[in-house]
Amino acid sequence: MSRFLKILLWMVALLSIPIGFFTQKEHTVFFWHKIPLTEVVIGVAGTLVLILLSRILAFISLKKEDYYD
Amino acid sequence: MIKSVPPAFLFILGALLIPVFKGKLKPWYLLAVPIIAFVDLVSMETGTNWVSPFLNYELIFAKVDRLSVVVGYIFILIGFLAILYSIRVRENGQQMAAFLYVGSSLGVVFAGDYFSLFAFWEIMAMSSVFLIWYRREKESLSAGFRYLLMHLFGGGALLIGILIHAFSKGSISVGPLEEGWAFWFILIGFGLNAAFIPLHTWLPDAYPKGTVTGSVFLSVYTTKTGVYALARCFPGVDFVAYMGGVMAIYGIVFALLQNDTRRFLSYHIVSQVGYMVAGVGTGVALGVNGGIAHVFNHILYKALLFMCMGSILAMAGKSKLTELGGLARKMPLTCITCLVASLSIAGVPPFNGFVSKGMVISAAVEANKPALELLLTLASVGTFLSFSKLCYYTFFAKNEAIQAEDPPWNMQLAMGMTAFLCILYGVYPQALFNLLPAQQVSYHPYTASHVVGVLQLFLWGLVVFTFRRVIAPEEGTVLDLDYFYRMCCRGITWLADVAFNGLRLRTQTLFSRRTNVVIQLSKNPMLVFEGIITYFWPNVEGFYNPEAGSSKIGEPIYNENWYRKPMGLGVCLAILMLFVYGMIYILQSKIG
Repeated sequence: MSRFLKILLWMVALLSIPIGFFTQKEHTVFFWHKIPLTEVVIGVAGTLVLILLSRILAFISLKKEDYYD
Repeated sequence: MIKSVPPAFLFILGALLIPVFKGKLKPWYLLAVPIIAFVDLVSMETGTNWVSPFLNYELIFAKVDRLSVVVGYIFILIGFLAILYSIRVRENGQQMAAFLYVGSSLGVVFAGDYFSLFAFWEIMAMSSVFLIWYRREKESLSAGFRYLLMHLFGGGALLIGILIHAFSKGSISVGPLEEGWAFWFILIGFGLNAAFIPLHTWLPDAYPKGTVTGSVFLSVYTTKTGVYALARCFPGVDFVAYMGGVMAIYGIVFALLQNDTRRFLSYHIVSQVGYMVAGVGTGVALGVNGGIAHVFNHILYKALLFMCMGSILAMAGKSKLTELGGLARKMPLTCITCLVASLSIAGVPPFNGFVSKGMVISAAVEANKPALELLLTLASVGTFLSFSKLCYYTFFAKNEAIQAEDPPWNMQLAMGMTAFLCILYGVYPQALFNLLPAQQVSYHPYTASHVVGVLQLFLWGLVVFTFRRVIAPEEGTVLDLDYFYRMCCRGITWLADVAFNGLRLRTQTLFSRRTNVVIQLSKNPMLVFEGIITYFWPNVEGFYNPEAGSSKIGEPIYNENWYRKPMGLGVCLAILMLFVYGMIYILQSKIG
């Protein structure tokens, strides 16, 4: 990804944080619905978890293309 | 007035007539069948029609209600688009298989009883496998057989469940089931088609090996009939709901590691079907509506994705991310439609996936299932990230060497129309809401918090995703749970071939030797005595010793005594037996 796109992505991502404070959630059922910026945290943590899981899986089960042949 | 025919029959009859049409008439005929089926579906009356007695039961070929109608609509609509996409396919067999596949799927949807549902279920499996085999490659042949094997297993489980249900309840009408043996067997049958973990392995194995056009059909019908059947028979089952959550994550984790684009999409089917299954499993009206809305939307964007990747395979001859790149300029329409489909599947506003995913996640909250909500939200992030990867490495990564251009007009038209529908149902979701099974449910997807929340989720996920090069595609194959199935099958093959067959050969050798001995003895019973002598005095060359002496088996030696002795002995024994019999007879008559 080019440097320009990365900077743009960062700017939009940072801009989304204050916007989040101005929007009110309609339904708050579980405790994390009441925490501000929950989606940001889930976005970051979720990505890390998924990358970690996929790397573990790759370490265990990534084989050569013709493995079954 | 002409009575409406179940749309399944129109497609099945249509399939049989395909060889009759040739030349310029054939494409028009192929496109006319789904149009007629759609008109027919619109005119169908609500209720149960086309009822036929069978044994002590009733077969219902047209159970028409809001659930079957909405699924019927999308099946026929995408059938039309997929046929348009594949209109240049010259093989009648492949076209017939596709028509039979669509027809049997519609048969499942409108079946009101388990027997006819099972019959269409099996036709679906049998016809769809030809869409894999028509690729005419060794890998496709093997994958097709594995696909068939898995579906026959699922069909077997379904049949057992249906029979248990029919005998225990005395009814075969399709509807929610009570827990018991029938419940679990039928759930296995439906779950296999819906790609439940660990029964999903046929899907990423077979779909990438299908023909360019066949995979478009495959991506639509099998899994969605599974979800439809779950919505009919298993709404509100907790196991189903959490299975959906697991499927959503499982598919994403595996998809992130795939190099083959169509295998990548296949794992995303597992993940997306997870959303549908979860929605149905929550049991709340919003969940069932959300699950079915996701069926509708997913059919559109997933078929579009398979169309795009099929076009790339057909025009560039490549399907691996490591070999692709730079196609944005060479295949602009394919690039734009693929971006629309990717944004739709990721659930970015204002595309159709945003609406139905939101419904399912909201249903998880409404059903008070916090773990399910988190699983589905996590899967949502993963979907966005993995499609960012797919689009980047297919269209925008540097690759000067690749040669390709946009596909023929019919493929472009099909892709353009499908992309348009993805946007239409995203921008104007009410068009879809009007069709959903539960009418009283209201859902407003475009609230500020929902839109901003989703954007925050994706943007911050993407920020992390761009930090490291961990997402770069890698060559190789990722072993799935099919590794264990294959090992089990190899074990069974070894058991049958080496162990059991070895035992058979040893037994056969043993008995054939003994039989030879018996044959020799029957020719000359006196050999017994000579055998005994040989046994006790081994230095004396025995008359009976197959390895030594003059009586080697197979040697043509003539000795007249060999034939006299057994005959004499036989006559002696017969006389003895006759004497004993006579004695018994006399004694019995005296006593009597």
